[in-house]
Amino acid sequence: MKIEEIRNGKLNESYYKIEHPSGLTILVLPKAGYSSSYAVFAAKYGSIDTRIALEDGSFSDIPEGTAHFLEHKLFESEELAAFERFAKTGASANAYTSFDRTGYLFSCSGNFKESLEILLDFVQKPYFTQETVEKEQGIIGQEIRMYKDVPDWEVLFNLLRALYKVNPVRIDIAGTQESIAQITADLLYKCYGNFYNLNNMVLAVSGNASVEDVLEVADRLLKPAAGEKAKREFVKENPEPETDYIEEKLSVSAPQFMLGFKEAVQTPERTAEERLCAHILLDIIAGKASPLYKKLLENELINTTFSFEYFEGYGYACSIFGGETKDPQAVASEIKNEIGRLKTQGIDEASFERTRRKLYGRMIMMYNDVDELANELAATFFTGNGLFDEIEVCKAIKLDNVRGRLKDLFNENGSALSVILPL
Amino acid sequence: MGFEPIVKMIAPGVRLCAVQTGRFKTGCISFSMALPLEGDIAANAVLPYILHRSCKKYPDFSCLNGRLAELYGASLTAGVAKLGEAQLLSIDLTSLDDRFSLTGESIAKSCTELLLDLIFEPDLVNGSFGETAILREKRLLIEKLESELNDKRVYALRRCEEIMCAGEKFGLDKYGTRETIEKLTGDNIYNAWQNMLKTAVIQIDMVGSGDCEGVAEALAAKFSKIERSPAEINTVFVQTAKETRRLEEKLPVKQGKLVLGFRAGTRDKSDQAAAYKVMTDIFGGGTYSKLFKNVREEMSLCYYCSAKLDRHKGVIFVQSGIESEKAGMASEEILRQFDAVKAGDFKPDDLNASLMAICDKLRGIEDSPDDIASWYTYRILEPVLKTPAQEAEEIRQVTKEQVVAAANRVTLDTIYMLSGTGEDDTDED
Repeated sequence: MKIEEIRNGKLNESYYKIEHPSGLTILVLPKAGYSSSYAVFAAKYGSIDTRIALEDGSFSDIPEGTAHFLEHKLFESEELAAFERFAKTGASANAYTSFDRTGYLFSCSGNFKESLEILLDFVQKPYFTQETVEKEQGIIGQEIRMYKDVPDWEVLFNLLRALYKVNPVRIDIAGTQESIAQITADLLYKCYGNFYNLNNMVLAVSGNASVEDVLEVADRLLKPAAGEKAKREFVKENPEPETDYIEEKLSVSAPQFMLGFKEAVQTPERTAEERLCAHILLDIIAGKASPLYKKLLENELINTTFSFEYFEGYGYACSIFGGETKDPQAVASEIKNEIGRLKTQGIDEASFERTRRKLYGRMIMMYNDVDELANELAATFFTGNGLFDEIEVCKAIKLDNVRGRLKDLFNENGSALSVILPL
Repeated sequence: MGFEPIVKMIAPGVRLCAVQTGRFKTGCISFSMALPLEGDIAANAVLPYILHRSCKKYPDFSCLNGRLAELYGASLTAGVAKLGEAQLLSIDLTSLDDRFSLTGESIAKSCTELLLDLIFEPDLVNGSFGETAILREKRLLIEKLESELNDKRVYALRRCEEIMCAGEKFGLDKYGTRETIEKLTGDNIYNAWQNMLKTAVIQIDMVGSGDCEGVAEALAAKFSKIERSPAEINTVFVQTAKETRRLEEKLPVKQGKLVLGFRAGTRDKSDQAAAYKVMTDIFGGGTYSKLFKNVREEMSLCYYCSAKLDRHKGVIFVQSGIESEKAGMASEEILRQFDAVKAGDFKPDDLNASLMAICDKLRGIEDSPDDIASWYTYRILEPVLKTPAQEAEEIRQVTKEQVVAAANRVTLDTIYMLSGTGEDDTDED
């Protein structure tokens, strides 16, 4: 078994990367002095995996929302459901499905090994019946309907549908009531078999836990994996959006908007440098210290809900600005003008330095939080990066690197505006 | 582990609570001000926001935010909360620990100075807050107040509180009303600031390796110029509901929101606090609770159904998102589950699960600087600051009899249902 220590002197943090004989990669970041721990056992299987690879290399469709449905159902077992087992350790257990992964997790401040044992056990023991699948359709149906009333969620998914023609990032993570109605116990077993093999998974732990603690449990519980990494399709997109405007009416106090710029990606994953440059540029364009933010706030075009993000995952990347506004078109045009101005006039060294320092600080701040660390360990592992990559890039990055990204990130013909209007 | 905070009285009604530790990458300092939830609520609500947007030294929020970026992305936030019938205003600053400074500048010291500047040295024009700032903050506060509609879960809870506690201070909105905010003048806000400095109950919470003696001295110097007479802040506890009120309101929503409001039966915020916490948790807390196991898992009625105790007012709210037409069935089931708790119909394992889960969470607080700071902030009105470890000790002592006794003091006050209008109930995609 290969155990490698990856250390960052400036942060004074280390994590261990273990290639377990079962095929699973295990990442452990111990935090001295902490009483709490967080563990996440994740599969590289998310809502964008709407097709399953067949032996001949082709792909066949599975219903939208299957990854999320499977996540809900895995908590059940033939005997005691996972939640009832965690009730005996005091740990707080949960799970999530994102666009590109599914994570099962617990946090605890005692009985770590007992809880880890439950986690590793139940995720490796699927138990689905037609009856329990049907029961879950009611619960998830309510989850789907709940999100239909959440303007922040609707404005984002409408934007993704506007930006992307074919990439499955455009579909809802939980699917639709119609799509989940097609899910059967057999289908769940098939997807489980394809995506939940240890070669396609990772276990990430942070906090009050040692490599020895984790391995003691892992050695007992992990069953050697049959099968290989699941194949994921890189769905290429045209640089242009499906549509440049999308609108919906909901019961809200004021219009909500999201303006997204689609990046024409040539490779499925972004590098640490690409991500960092995007974060720096977004903050220079629209951060609270920027001239644009001041102008928008003073012209009463935004309020404190205004925010921005670099939204990226396997096969897609876009830069998004959003919030509440009385005039979505006017905000969108102000943002586009400012980007145009930066493209022609350039970015000054002072605002670059200030932003770089801010992001450096914010990245270090993450190292307090065991939840965030374990999830970040899992996420960076699936994208082929290391946990410390971005902070290392931040130390060395130059203004020229950032300038070069402005054109790729903000293609004038690649944007779309999503708006929620009051009823 | 098991931090004891250093607690110092700085001036009448002004307390510093410092948890000194070098374990975190950050330091945080939070300035909290409690006032009775009455009088010029809107003017008080504007205060933390207007104060955190500029000061004499950084008169414009762009240069203030530039300074925060230079301080390695220090994060400055302002907020207003309700704590029983107190209005709790706060301004918090989180920054990187000094050992990460690239220039040798003490980040903690600079941040403390900045925070004190924001609170004590605002950017005044002829003895008042500037016209532009006032207009901006009034607009932002009105938009914040009205955006409560956007999150239907929050909105429904707020409506239930308002209806159930009509005529009590607790029924008022923490931001005031649209009309009172619109009417605010520079004088109102200036007076609210002066009144806050003189009469608010104030607590400064620090977590990290920052110099707590230095902060105490700086605070003492600021408050030595102010004649303090801290306000009496009391919350009225209505111990028993009269008769159950039922109200249904309609909005064009896809999912209905059901809220049940109960009177806990407590006399004050410390009355049987541990037993009530456990009782509410067994009823509708974790995945081992009655509501999760039955209303969600057994009956598949909802995605969430949970109970929350507000010990500062002695009320309990159950919230669930359900099909509008199933409101009756869901509320019956929720009450049936509550009757089971009252009858002691839960296993020793359920009680144990709850005690373990609560204590596990309490231990976890000490691993997060934000959680530590807010733990003490929410105890601003308590004469003695209990640590999470002390509270865990009390939780461990709770018996089944105490849980059942607490449940039997609870009465149902209001059932509120936010239903769909029925026009938009079909899924179009």
